Amino acid sequence: MRGLRTLLLLTTAFLLLPFEALAEDNPLRLWHAYRGAEEAALQAAADRYTEQTGTKVQLTATPFGAFEKKLETAIPRGNGPDLFIAAHGNLGKWQDLNLMVSVLPQDGQQPLATEALQDNDLQWGHPLALKTLLLFSDPELVDAAPTTTDELIAQAQALTDGQTYGLVYQAGTPFFHAPWMHGFGAESIGPNGAELNSQEHIDAYAFTQRLSHTLDIMPKRPTAQLLSQLYNDGRAAFVISGPWFLSEIDRPIRASSLPIISENGQPAKPFLSVEAIFVADGARLPEEAADFAAWLSSSEGAQIRQDTGKQAVTATEIEPTDDPIISAVLEQSAQAVPLPTDSDISNVWRAQEKAMEALVSGGASAKRTAENAAYFHSIYSREAPTPASAAPYWILMLGVLGGGVWWVRRQWGNADLRRRLRLHRGDYLWVLPAGVAMLILVALPFAMGAAVSLYAHQGGEWTFVGLSHFWEILSASETGFTSPMSFWYTLVVTLLWTVTNLMLHVGIGVGLALLLREPWIRMRGVWRALLILPWAIPNYITALIWKTMFHVQYGAVNALLGFGGEPANVDWFSSFSTAFCANLITNTWLGFPFMMVVTLGALQAIPRELEEAAEVDGASWWTRFRMVIWPLLKPALMPAIILGSVWTFNMFNVIYLVSNGGPMGSTEILISDAYQWAFSGGNYYGYAAAYAVLIFGVLLIYSRFANRLAGRRVL
Amino acid sequence: MATVTLKALEKSYGDTKVLTGIDLSIENGEYLVLVGPSGCGKSTLLRCIAGLESITGGALEIGGARMNDVAPQDRNIAMVFQSYALYPHMTVRRNLGFPLEIRKAEATAISEAVERVAKMLELEELLERFPGQLSGGQRQRVAMGRAMVREPSVFLFDEPLSNLDAALRGHMRAELKRLHRRLKTTVVHVTHDQVEALTLADRILVLNEGVVQQVGTPRELFDEPANTFVATFIGSPSMNLLEREDVCLGVRPTDVTLGEGPETARVDLIESLGAEALVHLELNGSPFLAMVPEPVEVEAGQEIALGFRKVHRFDRETGARL
Repeated sequence: MRGLRTLLLLTTAFLLLPFEALAEDNPLRLWHAYRGAEEAALQAAADRYTEQTGTKVQLTATPFGAFEKKLETAIPRGNGPDLFIAAHGNLGKWQDLNLMVSVLPQDGQQPLATEALQDNDLQWGHPLALKTLLLFSDPELVDAAPTTTDELIAQAQALTDGQTYGLVYQAGTPFFHAPWMHGFGAESIGPNGAELNSQEHIDAYAFTQRLSHTLDIMPKRPTAQLLSQLYNDGRAAFVISGPWFLSEIDRPIRASSLPIISENGQPAKPFLSVEAIFVADGARLPEEAADFAAWLSSSEGAQIRQDTGKQAVTATEIEPTDDPIISAVLEQSAQAVPLPTDSDISNVWRAQEKAMEALVSGGASAKRTAENAAYFHSIYSREAPTPASAAPYWILMLGVLGGGVWWVRRQWGNADLRRRLRLHRGDYLWVLPAGVAMLILVALPFAMGAAVSLYAHQGGEWTFVGLSHFWEILSASETGFTSPMSFWYTLVVTLLWTVTNLMLHVGIGVGLALLLREPWIRMRGVWRALLILPWAIPNYITALIWKTMFHVQYGAVNALLGFGGEPANVDWFSSFSTAFCANLITNTWLGFPFMMVVTLGALQAIPRELEEAAEVDGASWWTRFRMVIWPLLKPALMPAIILGSVWTFNMFNVIYLVSNGGPMGSTEILISDAYQWAFSGGNYYGYAAAYAVLIFGVLLIYSRFANRLAGRRVL
Repeated sequence: MATVTLKALEKSYGDTKVLTGIDLSIENGEYLVLVGPSGCGKSTLLRCIAGLESITGGALEIGGARMNDVAPQDRNIAMVFQSYALYPHMTVRRNLGFPLEIRKAEATAISEAVERVAKMLELEELLERFPGQLSGGQRQRVAMGRAMVREPSVFLFDEPLSNLDAALRGHMRAELKRLHRRLKTTVVHVTHDQVEALTLADRILVLNEGVVQQVGTPRELFDEPANTFVATFIGSPSMNLLEREDVCLGVRPTDVTLGEGPETARVDLIESLGAEALVHLELNGSPFLAMVPEPVEVEAGQEIALGFRKVHRFDRETGARL
């Protein structure tokens, strides 16, 4: 008892302790996404700065994929760093979100870099380095870098065999598609905004499809890991990637500019991003932060970053270098298009990426891809609903509140109720903590979510729009009912997903439980433990493992489907049916153990003699199951099935991690779709909240129905 | 109706032999009771006949056909379990009709058969109830009814009366006897209760540790037990055994006379059962029982002379009847 009290005291003391007091001397906190040599260079520069000024700098590396999202959620909520290093591409969006404060311009920088960081007559960060895509080649396979795309293709074709790929790059992402897009004369955002369905775009898509699909010189669905793995194994002749690629390579490599497009004689122009250091809004040490940012950008900081980190730095007054990679970046920078900073750019990228999923797998033509990209963009960038007057809603709220008060007052008049309340005062006290917890953890977030659904969030601004989101979603006015982007399409997919999953979970779970009960099974305990294992492993790990197993070329599933011979060639994520199956298989793997455990428990309560009696009475195996075991299992299994259906209905992890809703959003379920609206690209929080409220509504209706199904209250 | 023949039937679980070389021929319409102490293998033998346990050696024939590898549902047998094994989610009506329902019989045929059986077993009032709403005796009758509804060739009863209280057990025993007289179906009935065995059986098979001790009519078993095991197992109170030089003598308590005879014993305790008294004696330092008609004119602690009306003689080593 005393131990418990001490523990309580210590915990309280720890919670009350101001965290600032724990960090002795309050360092500058800097977030970045560097790895390898660049990270080492940043650390060396920070150490030098600390020596000179005494100000400590604490570096926090975050994986690139999560970096922007982390900034966008942490800084507006006051949990952000003092400084962060990022490319300038999100400048427009981040100004809207107020992620950073402006800085004073400094001399000694390339004008191009300084200009990229200026907007609205202010400079928003200090430039550090230039980043652009390059053509890497393996000197052991390639004698000289090609200068035109025809040469590139000819060399790549000559070098492609069963083992080696002529060309490897992430063809399906807009950033890697950009060199061809610009080379064919198209733009992400032109003077008149995004025009994604132009002939130039179609030509560029056709070229990308040729490289990634038709010519058969590339591996399918290459990931960043696969790129470096293939190169390190000497199995990739050409790689298109940025200087960051080098941090994972341990073999000789050659860098050169991207080739000239043979079709029109124009150079391929990748995006140029200016990497910069920004002072975060709400920084605790704004002056020190601004000083460090300026220093890191200046020639002194730049020298360290160039020498140690091999960065193509933007500072002009430094000792020149003959590093071939840096030279290649600088050369390519002359033929590059600075990343647009328009806040619409994230919508363009999201739309292009989604449309290109089908392009690189050969599922859609270049023309269709351009149409899709334009269609997706029109939905992502559509106007926010017109602001609505809040007055009717206030009146309605007041009415509801008034009604509530009236009801409570009327109940209070009931003497019997008052007496019972008094009588059970102690009991209510016991229930109070749970009640408060439910209020804070369930009721309050729900009410806030519901309130958010009445607002539109665009470009960092919240506008009251009333029920417009619900109307937009339910009428499918933007998308049409049959588009994968519509609520109704996604609802049908979600229902299909839930029903097929449950049938498999229950079928396999009950089947295995019955099998485990058979007397001839040896090592029953071992089997039982093994079969429960999929359930015991965190589901996101399982989902990621399955995702890699479904890879078209390197996945275990296709290898198994080859039955020992040549692996099957199923591109699992290229069509709705196969992607849906991949999700289904993964979630079945995760879901059957629960049903099995419940069934094993329920079977304990069914005497063996009942089955034997039926057997002697003349019942076959199936009849015994159907007429004796199943009716007796049902009461125990029904609540599990209903629970399982709600879990499956909202099984975000599997959808997000395995198919990620693809191809083109067709395997998205409601919950993952809501997430996409809220957190990828546009941050349509209000729209996503309306989705969440609708999901709640669907499940509420289902729970009423489920109670009838089970013949008693389960939900 | 059918004969049941067991030829050198064996059953073992791994290295453990449960039944050893069982030979038995059950006549058409015969009521055979399997008795023995708990764990002797009698239930296993019944389950082997039912097909719920596989046979590991020898042969089983029902109606002349070899049944070793025939599934239970194809043996045309009916079984009543000790727990009755009624389907808890079905009404009495459906429980009774179940064997016919799964044979896809006509609804009218099922209902006729159910009505007939319900009438025979006085279950008409209970047809719409669920097993959970019935008393022990009622459940037992439903279990019997379910076995009778489709006229099987053999009835197998696995301790069908042991879950009933004494009075009901006596009543149901008589009912069983009456039913058998009416239906004349071959019955194999397992019990550990010798009274049940003696009253119901045409023949009794006594089993101990998986080995047949004796097969015979109740009279034969009582009058001429084949060995000391049968001698002590059959009859209540059980037979006294006296070890004398090279033989073992068996005396039923009812065959003891008090007051005259060659032996002398000390009276330990007298239990009066009304018409008779059970006198606990001490003979040569061992307990010895006598069952004599009341009134008994002896007292505890008294030395008394004993005589035996009938003495069974058994081999001291093997226990076999001499």
